Amino acid sequence: MKKIFTVAGLALIGATVGSANAQLIAHKDLSVTTAVTIAQTAVQTCKAQGYNVSAHVLGRAGEVLVAMRGDDTGPHTLENSMKKAWTARAQRAPSLNFANAVKANPTAGAIHLTNMVPAQGGLPIMVGEDAIGAVGVSGAPGGDKDEACAKAGIDKVAADLK
Amino acid sequence: MFKSAYAIAGVSLAVVLGVAVPANAQLLTHKDLSVATATTIALTAIETCKAQGYNVSANVLGREGQVVVAIRNPAAGFATYENSMKKAYTARTTRAPSGKFADAVKGNPNAGQFFLTNFVAAQGALPIMVGNDTIGAIGISGAPGGDKDEACAKAGIDKVAAQLR
Repeated sequence: MKKIFTVAGLALIGATVGSANAQLIAHKDLSVTTAVTIAQTAVQTCKAQGYNVSAHVLGRAGEVLVAMRGDDTGPHTLENSMKKAWTARAQRAPSLNFANAVKANPTAGAIHLTNMVPAQGGLPIMVGEDAIGAVGVSGAPGGDKDEACAKAGIDKVAADLK
Repeated sequence: MFKSAYAIAGVSLAVVLGVAVPANAQLLTHKDLSVATATTIALTAIETCKAQGYNVSANVLGREGQVVVAIRNPAAGFATYENSMKKAYTARTTRAPSGKFADAVKGNPNAGQFFLTNFVAAQGALPIMVGNDTIGAIGISGAPGGDKDEACAKAGIDKVAAQLR
């Protein structure tokens, strides 16, 4: 009888400790293969349109997974592609959104954070509602063109993003 | 007529005076890595190591030590990303395998270059050569041993050997 109480007690403790917010977080993250494919597709898509661009793919924590300097690109494009991606990852939204927000409010607080840039060309990489990373492109004559190449990169691996 | 002939002679002289522009004042002609070649080198190295059971990160640097392609392998330790860059930097600037610098530091632990930014005394990087010209370097980090890193780096370069001329 005593033993039964003990077992019941243990089960109760176990249930309490194992509350949902104390469990480990299950994440999907980009593999090196997927990340390289995204960057390479973005660079090649722009190249095919006559634009030399650099690209960055960042992971969940904003860490660089792939940095790719395009042929004959301006030296700033590598940095800019990183910052566009950072901005998209941080806000879980196209970097265009931040560009528009800053246009409306030039003193937006986030503009003073490291790596935030109000420029189009970065897109978050989503798995459902979860931003697992971002891709940033820089070098095309217009952020819309950068963004189109970034999108081509993500579209290429769409089947893997689940 | 004569005047015209003189003028022509003058032009000829000017052409000859091309000598006045010494060879070392002309612009330099370089071969440099394309992003496509650099990516092939890096990916081949990563895949070669992967096939051997090693997860590695890779950096391919260009002529000025600038990053052309940097690939972090999330399956490798996070120090590998930085280390692969530094190995490549060391190989590029010494125009030799980074293992050579590692050996030099072993013999002389206070070698002056050891105090320069981005130098690392570790095997795993190779210069990318076109003839005698060092156009870049590839560095690998993550395998259990610099010799294994270097073997994957070499596989990357070998893959594009035909383009390196």
